[in-house]
Amino acid sequence: MIPTPTTNRPINAGQSLADDIDRLDAVAKVTGRAKYSRDQYLANGLFACLIRCPIGAGTLESIDLDSARAVPGVVEVECEAGAAGQYHGHNVGVLVAESPLAMKRGMRALRPRWRRGAFTTTIDESNPTPEEPSEQTRSILDRGPRRLTATYTTEVQTHSPLETHGAVVDHRGDSATVYSSTQGTFAARDGLDEPLGLPRARYEVVCEYVGGGFGSKLNGPGKEGVTAARLSAKHRRPVYLFVNRGEDHLDTGNRPSSRTQVDIAFGEDGTIHGGQVSTWGGVGVSRGGGGVNIPSGRYSLGTIQKTHNDVQTNAGAPRPFRAPGHPQGAFAEEMVIEEVAGALNLDPLALRQRLETSDERRRMMDVGADLIGWRDRRRNGEQTGIVRRGFGMGVTSWPRFPAQAEGEVVINRDASIEVRTGTQDIGTGMRTVAAVVACHELGVPVDRCNVRIGSSNLPPGPGSGGSMTTPNTAPAIAAAARDAKRRFLEWVAQREGADASEFDIRGGEVLRHNEPYADMTTLTARLPDSITGRGESNRQTLQREQGSGHSDGVQFAEVSVDTQTGVVRVKRIVAIQSCGLVVARKLAESQIIGGVIQGVSYALFEHKVLDRNTGTMVNPNLEWYKVAGTDDMPHIEPVLWSDGQDSVRPLGEPPTIPTSGAIACAVLNAIGWPVRSLPLTPDRVLAALDARAAHERLERRGPVDGAVNGDADRGMPGGGR
Amino acid sequence: MNRFAYARAETWSQARDLLGDRRFSLPVLKGGGLDLVDQMKEGILEPDLLVDVRGAGAVGEDGQRRGEQPEPIRMSDRWGRPLVSITPSATLAEIAASPLVRERAAALAQAAESAATPQVRNVATIAGNLLQRPRCWYFRHDEFNCLKKGGSTCFAVDGENAYHAIFGGGPCHIVHPSNVACAMAALGGYVDGFGVPDEARSIEGLFHLPDQGVRTEHNLPAGAVLTHIGVEPWAVSGFHAIKAKQSFDWPLAMAAVGLRVEGGRIASARVCAGAVAPVPWMLPDVAGALVGVSTDDDLAIERACAGAAQGAAPMSQNGYKARLLPVAVQRAVLRALGRLAEELA
Repeated sequence: MIPTPTTNRPINAGQSLADDIDRLDAVAKVTGRAKYSRDQYLANGLFACLIRCPIGAGTLESIDLDSARAVPGVVEVECEAGAAGQYHGHNVGVLVAESPLAMKRGMRALRPRWRRGAFTTTIDESNPTPEEPSEQTRSILDRGPRRLTATYTTEVQTHSPLETHGAVVDHRGDSATVYSSTQGTFAARDGLDEPLGLPRARYEVVCEYVGGGFGSKLNGPGKEGVTAARLSAKHRRPVYLFVNRGEDHLDTGNRPSSRTQVDIAFGEDGTIHGGQVSTWGGVGVSRGGGGVNIPSGRYSLGTIQKTHNDVQTNAGAPRPFRAPGHPQGAFAEEMVIEEVAGALNLDPLALRQRLETSDERRRMMDVGADLIGWRDRRRNGEQTGIVRRGFGMGVTSWPRFPAQAEGEVVINRDASIEVRTGTQDIGTGMRTVAAVVACHELGVPVDRCNVRIGSSNLPPGPGSGGSMTTPNTAPAIAAAARDAKRRFLEWVAQREGADASEFDIRGGEVLRHNEPYADMTTLTARLPDSITGRGESNRQTLQREQGSGHSDGVQFAEVSVDTQTGVVRVKRIVAIQSCGLVVARKLAESQIIGGVIQGVSYALFEHKVLDRNTGTMVNPNLEWYKVAGTDDMPHIEPVLWSDGQDSVRPLGEPPTIPTSGAIACAVLNAIGWPVRSLPLTPDRVLAALDARAAHERLERRGPVDGAVNGDADRGMPGGGR
Repeated sequence: MNRFAYARAETWSQARDLLGDRRFSLPVLKGGGLDLVDQMKEGILEPDLLVDVRGAGAVGEDGQRRGEQPEPIRMSDRWGRPLVSITPSATLAEIAASPLVRERAAALAQAAESAATPQVRNVATIAGNLLQRPRCWYFRHDEFNCLKKGGSTCFAVDGENAYHAIFGGGPCHIVHPSNVACAMAALGGYVDGFGVPDEARSIEGLFHLPDQGVRTEHNLPAGAVLTHIGVEPWAVSGFHAIKAKQSFDWPLAMAAVGLRVEGGRIASARVCAGAVAPVPWMLPDVAGALVGVSTDDDLAIERACAGAAQGAAPMSQNGYKARLLPVAVQRAVLRALGRLAEELA
């Protein structure tokens, strides 16, 4: 199959500052020259490893500390019998050794014995029951005339970043360097003064590259960083503490599981009158964080009585995960719309157009429908072949969160440019963004620019959460570049006794009255010193743009479903996303593509499986914890939408919100029956096909009362659109 | 991982001698090293000598370096009849690309091509693939002391068994992971070498069910060295695997068939299923049902394959495999006949 070419250009007269620039650190990353914190093996370093509970719940009855300490190379073990473990991966101690091998041997020598305790692993074990409907809800539901009752569930997804969680801490007595894999250089710094026993001015957090985080590295230095700092302070030696792949699945956060129970009333024309939505989040040992974002406000769903409860289980706690709570909610919400449309024999696109609360997304729907070929969509379950094609869609939105960001732009006497901001790059391309923005404002080519990021010694920048790094850092750097340019041109003008407004810089050349005046290098050589411009962005500076930073999106999915095997393959995704001012096109598209990929993987595969009898995760690896690979990739068509928009907008989170819902809707369209649980595994798809067949057998036997109205969890008849 | 010695065997007899070296307590052969290194990292296996056999065969048993390496894949009549003969250290990529295998043992080429990823196939050897240990997530998990590791329980029975066996299970419920074993069993495959007992020379005889010994999967004694692998030539054969994930996933069910076709009808067949039992699982009843079926009669083929999962004993989460297996067999037959639609491949 030859994929259709991608549009690859902003739609609606959009603009990008750098249309074809490659990621500045691409070569360093693919050649291994880029040093991640996990790559920091320092001379004379120690290696530390967390001792963990291996089961759902238990008490550490005994542990052979003496044998472990006797292993050559083991430096110390901190752990005490009697410790309580509340989940597989729960940290109850730490072992320190001279080498990774000694560390592993020491761990094996511990031979811990655990007494098992009672535990739960699923939301269902808590017997989740919706609260009593209010009088108003009851009256809405009674009035109907049509009703949908359904339950949607999703599984725990782990962040699975390529670089696992951890830090290397080098405490030198009166100062320290901390190599952290973090989404927040400054948050990591602020959490380390106590374990290091040093004032913040005496140590630096360095994070030049991050191998992914997706929200799970927002927790300051993390327990790995705090432990490494404490141990390094104690031993006055570098301490390396990075968890392995298995541990990373257990105890570094996740997207919690969810259950959404829907009971709504709707009219024959598709108007949704409202009803009750009850959600639960499986939050492990956490007290919260399992919210499910439905209703999202993107559709008119009438008057909804919404309740949410977090259910504690014996599993690792959630952490923010790329649009926390949103994909779970969007999956349920899009399926509700799809099932209502199916029951009424309406085109689900037309129904969405009706229920949609945003004109912008409505326009996006028109464009996206055209790009995916919605006209080829057949009615739900109409196809009879073995492999059936399905179309689905979903919507997304995201606010712009203001954050404090500062930047410096230096014009050196050799005309080279240095951009400095301490924020980190979790893979989105901060270096490139900073260079493009600064050079665009200065009027010099990007190859003159060097960017320094990822250090707590540089001007502070935001943590990479809430999709706010670029929207907030780019304006700060732009302001710094304008400041540097102003200072430089004032100096130039002063030499001429002229006014600075007569001068400008373009293509690295200084102009006067728009005519070539001098090469920039010639002038900077005469500077008494380098020039530093400073800029910042915060709630105040963003005020004038308030409300304009919102990001909307619409996605369309085309899938094929093999009805003999239940295997779902995603063929194409069209992803339209508000992008405002695009800094670097390829990077912006890459953000959208990455969000879609994570959504495809969530829809089809990802599932943290806890053994029901022990509470132990059985798939703490990337073999049985399945993540989509190259052959699972659809053709992804990112569409940068900038209709009437300015300013840099959030792109990190919004593109992953609608993907899984759009895919689930496409599967419903293909097979004529809903699969109400993610991931959409072959066994679930086959079960849905069986349910449809059983339903049709019943139908043939005679009229069935209440097949749609109030017939809980039996799905909709397959004949609709 | 513990310290170990490493030796490169230039001849098969050298490999055999190194395995018998008393200075080492646990010498093992190393092909591509994929499963071996996994096992060493997981603490399942702690060898103190690795004998790399990837270069074995480059030097003849007479000790003379051969001018040219023998073709790793060639026709031979070692067992008294023509066989597609494969050096045990041939890689899956070589097998998948071999014109000889593609023509005379297509199911094997397809099975090799379907395994893992290009990177893995470029180093994984056919012998290593045949003899790899199962991928059961309890067996591979160091927190579960399962039957295979000397424990007293198969955790899959009451546990998470979506990927476990529906045939031949008990007391352990692994599935045999090898695509290649499934294809070789269907085609009539043989192995030979030092210390290989006669009864272990056929692929069917090479493996045993858990109730015949739960700690191992194959019937080779310690110190055995495979030196020859062969399959009978088939003009018509095919393989099909059903995977949830199309990149780097273990099949949920797979099947391989060899067909003798005469006058537009199937005259005889051999059918083997994979990923459904602790060994490559022969389906003689399906093979029998295929006999006499016209090669262009899709409906008759479907009917003949429909009973593929008869007698299956699924556990709580793997009943779907019984649905998949007849489909896998049917598609293997259609692929053998060159009639499997692209969208079903």
